[in-house]
Amino acid sequence: MKYAAQKLGLFVLTLWAAVTLNFILPRLMPGDPTDAAIAKLSQNGPVTEATRAAIEAQLGVPDGNVLQQYVAYLGQVVRLDFGTSYTFFPETVGHLVGQALPYTLILVGACTVIAFVVGTLIGVAAAWKRGTWLDSLPTLSGSFMSTFPYFWTALLLLFFLGYVLHWFPTTGAYGATTTPGFTPEFVGDALLHAVLPAVTILVTSLGGWILGMRNAMINTLGDDYVTFAEANGLKGRTVAVRYAARNAILPNLTGFGLALGGVVGGSILVEQVFGYPGIGYLLFNAVIGQDYPLMQALFLMITVSVLVANFLVDILYGVLDPRTRR
Amino acid sequence: MTHTHRHRARARTAVAALAAATAAVLVATGCSIQIRSEPDPTIGADTMLINADKGNPQFERNFNPFLTNKRTASTWIYEPLLEINPLDGEITPWLASETTLPDARTVDMTIRDGVEWSDGEPMTPDDVVYTFDLIKANPALDLKGAWQHIDTIEQQGDHVVFHLQTDDVPAMEIIGQTTIVPEHLWSKVADPTTYRNPDPVGTGPFTLGNYSALQYSMDKNESYWQAEKIDIAHLILPATNNQLDTVTRGYDWAYSFISDVEGTWGAASDTNSYWFPPGGVIGLMPNLTKAPFDDVNVRNGIALALDRDQIAESATEGYLEPAGQTGLILPNQQDDLDPSIPDQGVIGQDVDGALAAFAQAGYTQQGDQLVGPDGQQLRITILTANGYTDWLRAVQEVRAQLGAIGIDVQIQAPQPAGYQSAIANGEFDMALGGMGNGNTYQAYNTLLNSAFATPVGETTASNFGRFSDPAVDELLDEWKAAIDPAEQQRLSYALQNVVYEQKPVIGLYYGGLWGLFNDSKFTGWPSEKDPYMAPQNYDQAPLLIFTKLKRVDQGAEG
Repeated sequence: MKYAAQKLGLFVLTLWAAVTLNFILPRLMPGDPTDAAIAKLSQNGPVTEATRAAIEAQLGVPDGNVLQQYVAYLGQVVRLDFGTSYTFFPETVGHLVGQALPYTLILVGACTVIAFVVGTLIGVAAAWKRGTWLDSLPTLSGSFMSTFPYFWTALLLLFFLGYVLHWFPTTGAYGATTTPGFTPEFVGDALLHAVLPAVTILVTSLGGWILGMRNAMINTLGDDYVTFAEANGLKGRTVAVRYAARNAILPNLTGFGLALGGVVGGSILVEQVFGYPGIGYLLFNAVIGQDYPLMQALFLMITVSVLVANFLVDILYGVLDPRTRR
Repeated sequence: MTHTHRHRARARTAVAALAAATAAVLVATGCSIQIRSEPDPTIGADTMLINADKGNPQFERNFNPFLTNKRTASTWIYEPLLEINPLDGEITPWLASETTLPDARTVDMTIRDGVEWSDGEPMTPDDVVYTFDLIKANPALDLKGAWQHIDTIEQQGDHVVFHLQTDDVPAMEIIGQTTIVPEHLWSKVADPTTYRNPDPVGTGPFTLGNYSALQYSMDKNESYWQAEKIDIAHLILPATNNQLDTVTRGYDWAYSFISDVEGTWGAASDTNSYWFPPGGVIGLMPNLTKAPFDDVNVRNGIALALDRDQIAESATEGYLEPAGQTGLILPNQQDDLDPSIPDQGVIGQDVDGALAAFAQAGYTQQGDQLVGPDGQQLRITILTANGYTDWLRAVQEVRAQLGAIGIDVQIQAPQPAGYQSAIANGEFDMALGGMGNGNTYQAYNTLLNSAFATPVGETTASNFGRFSDPAVDELLDEWKAAIDPAEQQRLSYALQNVVYEQKPVIGLYYGGLWGLFNDSKFTGWPSEKDPYMAPQNYDQAPLLIFTKLKRVDQGAEG
């Protein structure tokens, strides 16, 4: 309990620091929301004094001095009320986040879980059969694929599988004539649209899990207790899975927990290349538009997710590895 | 100085640029993968697919014509009093069938008879008066600033008469661009500044059809007051997201800057064509409140040192021409140009002339440096916006060319909002910027009027370089009061010469408008030969274009 209480205290302190930083950072950016709106409008034609005045009237100027804004902001955080977006005015932040979150959670969340499970299993096999093709093939290809930036892989897949071969849709989360809802038509269409983004994330992130697990396994397989188990005649598979893998998985489990926390933030570049309407794309628009309310909500959500994931991993670690509780 | 950016290549994200680069690399390495596209065969011959509305990446259902975030098609549902060509300011009467100026303080508009709202109610002068009262009561909706010019409005039968605050002839165009909304519906709206208007009712040629977050359609308004001129039965607007999508989807009308337009858009279909007219001047804005930019000899030196052919070629990939120094956009405003100005105002590179001009300001070449009276090399920081790729290429050319005569040029490229903030507050040495306007009075007013020259640190929306000259202000005031076209021309010539001689902005090249068309189903697009309207598929320009298009399958005379 002391261990958990200690972690909880650290969680609260870190959360407050993150929330405060979240308030400060957007305001340090040069320019303001009106400037961003005018920069966008001026790409289409002249923007006059009157237009600037109208936009300022639409967006509103933050009330009070910085301290008053901060206190009001803390109140908003507690109530989870972030007001109206500037970039998407007059849409509310809540509406925008609610709309985008499911797509990101499903796409990036599913890919993270799949990549972790598949990567871990391949890593175990690679370590156990090290020196054979079952080791070298995943290791080399994993290393190779993981060196590509997400957007490069995304663009290659988009160009060849989307535009040249026409195997998959090139943009969006579902077709323009499909109505969102829990229907076979929508689910099928959404899955089809998710293939390219999903494959992009998988091939790019799988390598990390494979290599991490393989290397941890190799270290574990060299431990005395594994040698002892083998000497006692246990089956190779039993040794690999029940003894070595269980211990070797701990570092990857930590990484997995943190990765799950990061799921909420989406994958900005992948979502942008594919026009995927998730949180990452929304965050990109918020930053470009100097959209304080939306930025604050998104950064807060991402931060809290990572902190919660971190906290849960710490607790879980205490269960899996009792040594860390001391 | 200029008040605004003006048409130029849309900012492209790094990702879109990489998409183009990927395609280019593949072609260059001999993969020779050619993408073809044709109109979608599931879309009828009476339906237009148009990439006019950008999703982020999905649509929000906002059809409030007074909000900046509205759906593009809001401006085809709601109509203005006057239709104005952004290329040259040419006016076509629209909801106001006739406009007269009894004197410089009065605008008399006759409201068109026989116009209906799409819900069947008649559009009347009451709706016009109501609309102006609405934007007066809600300044957030007065996007054109009509009430900065209007004093009072009165209705006289089918006339609406605007009494202005001062002699203010150019106010007519500002008032004329106001979109009119139906009183019988909008008078029930609690807060028009946040109203999304999800089921729009307007006077325009189309009404909203099916709507989803990824695509919406428009259907012809059969009771439209120009219904016989509308040959399009339906419009489809997908949530447009990237450049490859523009080329491959089979659009009938698209609007996008595209590298290698012949090799991409042109090659994708035999019936694709394009027209990239100039839409504004891109130039260097010196900060006239700072030495040495307050010295006209320094400005002359910079202007003469530059090779505009090279700059235009590099920035616009050869699509557009070097800009003249008069502030006018040619050939759009050819008729307005003072013929006594040499070479139509284009200043050719003249390095010797540049050095002579700098010498008059006390700068001489010493070795490979241009050294000033203080014994220091001349250093200039040029501000531009990150992501505006044509601007970045232009400013890199400028740096190289000014470097060749010994000037140390630094480039600053913050994000667009940071750039906008810096120019609005006057916190720059020189900035690349857009200027010019189809309306020549507005072009000069926003460039030269000292009323906009706020002290550095105070925000302005025009005249960023803070030009100030009482004699020029006098000319602008005279123009504001001038109804006579000959008098307007005299004043225009005088102001052209001010810009030519004083160089409050140094013109470099023209920013473009990027019209992409397909002739499979519809023909009659605006073109270099018939520039009846700017080729943009946003704002109010499409209203006129829609009336000029004919279906191919029924013959151009059908």
